[in-house]
Amino acid sequence: MTGLRPTPGVGTLEGDGIIYAARLPDGPIVVLDGIAALIWNEACSGDQATIAERVAEVTDAAADDIRAHVDDFVANLVERRLLAPLGLSSEWVC
Amino acid sequence: MNESQVSVPLWVRLRFGHAAVQYIADEVGVDLLHIKGAAVDPSLRPSESGSDIDVLVRPGHVDRFDRALRERGWTLYSTFTYGSPFGHAQTYLHDAWGYLDIHRFFPGIRIPPARAFDRLWSDRHTIEIATIGCPVPSVPAQALLLILNAARSRTPQHPDIGTAWRDAPDERRIEIEALVADLDAPVAFAAAVGGLEQFRRERDYRLWKVTSRGGSRSEEWWARVRAAPTLAAKLRVIARAPLVNVDHLAHRLGRRPTAGEIVVEFFRRPAQAIRETWRGRRSGVGANR
Repeated sequence: MTGLRPTPGVGTLEGDGIIYAARLPDGPIVVLDGIAALIWNEACSGDQATIAERVAEVTDAAADDIRAHVDDFVANLVERRLLAPLGLSSEWVC
Repeated sequence: MNESQVSVPLWVRLRFGHAAVQYIADEVGVDLLHIKGAAVDPSLRPSESGSDIDVLVRPGHVDRFDRALRERGWTLYSTFTYGSPFGHAQTYLHDAWGYLDIHRFFPGIRIPPARAFDRLWSDRHTIEIATIGCPVPSVPAQALLLILNAARSRTPQHPDIGTAWRDAPDERRIEIEALVADLDAPVAFAAAVGGLEQFRRERDYRLWKVTSRGGSRSEEWWARVRAAPTLAAKLRVIARAPLVNVDHLAHRLGRRPTAGEIVVEFFRRPAQAIRETWRGRRSGVGANR
């Protein structure tokens, strides 16, 4: 089981259901609203392999219908170095 | 993820700005305290306010921090020399985070800046801003800094005076008064909360009277000369008086001024002082020397 967490050096803020994340010290600020914020939270709170299932459960969507989109989105967050893999035994922190 | 431009609320930008500044300070080993705005304890600042980031930097670390900021995309906006009449703060601008004021001392505190920083640093604590640990002064020290800051606002009913002093519980007031004594800040403190007249004999009385209640430019300069603690410091103030504020002139023009424009400005300022003195004499007030 593997999880994700904000990359060290990434600052985050949350307000009115919107998540703001920025790589420090240069930025820019990434704004995650609605489904994007939900994916971020799920990515940081459980197994990476089951993010699509958990997002589907909250949104009443079929997991198979959204899996590719969710996985692409998470991969993009990792590519931008906003999220990074957690060690196997580490806690989830978001 | 699609790239698009969205507006980011000011409170978000300012908090990330504090976090970014702390990140740089940690990288280069600079001690600083986050003051004012987003760093202030909620009990002292019930509503969100402020439009820039303010930090008090250990005086011996200012040069190192200045270099680190410039290497990290911060542009010098105004200098210690020209940024404020007290020479205490220098302003930087960043594309993503906005304005940052770094303070090398806090106006109103009369003990040497390094000792004052040590005193404030000794009872600091850390708060999280945008998930980054940021050192801040103790809550009574934050209250005192807000009070001293309000003394410079020329606003008699400044809301920070109410929150930080008038409405403070007795035990908080005792802590604030103890800090006023430790930091030797009685005159500026009195200018903010009342009782300034009992300090008429202090060298910085006139400076805080002009600063807190207003006065002509020439009154302010003479008050500044009087307030300087040593002859050398007085001479430095006098020497600076006719200098042109190149930063201010550059911002007024929207570009760096030419040598000719600096010369024109040089002659414009003494002329203004003469006009102020003349107006003052005609009205029977006179520039107070």
